[in-house]
Amino acid sequence: MSTVDSALDIDRQPFESLFTPLLSSAYGAALRLVRTRPDAEDLVQEAALQAFRAYHTFQPGTNFKAWFFRILTNCFISRYRRNRKERDDLALDDIEDLYLYRRTVEAGIHGLDTSPVQTLLGKLDEEQIGEAMARLPADYRAVATLYFIEDFSYEQIAGVMGCPIGTVRSRLHRARKMLQRALWQVAVDQGLVSRLTAPEAS
Amino acid sequence: MKSEKIDPLTCEEAVARLDDYIDRELSEEEMRRVRHHLETCAGCAGHFRLEEDVLQQVRDKMRRIAVPGDLMARIQKRLEGE
Repeated sequence: MSTVDSALDIDRQPFESLFTPLLSSAYGAALRLVRTRPDAEDLVQEAALQAFRAYHTFQPGTNFKAWFFRILTNCFISRYRRNRKERDDLALDDIEDLYLYRRTVEAGIHGLDTSPVQTLLGKLDEEQIGEAMARLPADYRAVATLYFIEDFSYEQIAGVMGCPIGTVRSRLHRARKMLQRALWQVAVDQGLVSRLTAPEAS
Repeated sequence: MKSEKIDPLTCEEAVARLDDYIDRELSEEEMRRVRHHLETCAGCAGHFRLEEDVLQQVRDKMRRIAVPGDLMARIQKRLEGE
């Protein structure tokens, strides 16, 4: 290794030592945001590159994870805006409380030792949950991803998204309801509800 | 032991606080008011349990993600090019 290469390695080291432990959650969040693995890999790489370029603006001692996720989310939002062919599948109308519970009971889903909702969710795999997330509009998906994958508080989400806490609270409230409806729609679309309510399923 | 007086909530008021209660985003006083309501209202207690259960199951499944083994190496390669 040349002296120049060594110097560059030393330059990257502080960034990499903070970024490497975040890779798993960054990729997890990216996959929920963009749905496919190749797109998630691209998004994480793009965010890592932008974060490295902007690393001189990071204040040591502050929260690197929140700083990096802000960059990741911004990359996603700007990519989404560039690529409007992606549809917002779900209308933003009111969705009743306990949506998933009501649908599963109405459909006659039941399990031996579990509630109807638990029975349905137990049958949905990670891919199908991802498909349901992908049906949320981008801004709602971003808030829901930070909430579900990262356990960020409302205040931290507000910091990452650059919006007031009240906006996070109302988006998250609607995102949870939209996600319940999307989970139900995925279960219907993929024949899971029919299988669970077929005579031999009981 | 001194008992604290709690300003009771109606079912509608309790349900309006459901998300914030589950996420522990309410003040101590508000958390106490919701808890008190749930101790005395089986309907709302069941409603809250169902919501928490859905959130937990979704959260658990969303987190089961394997990172591609070579992703960090690819990122390092791109950083080297900077």
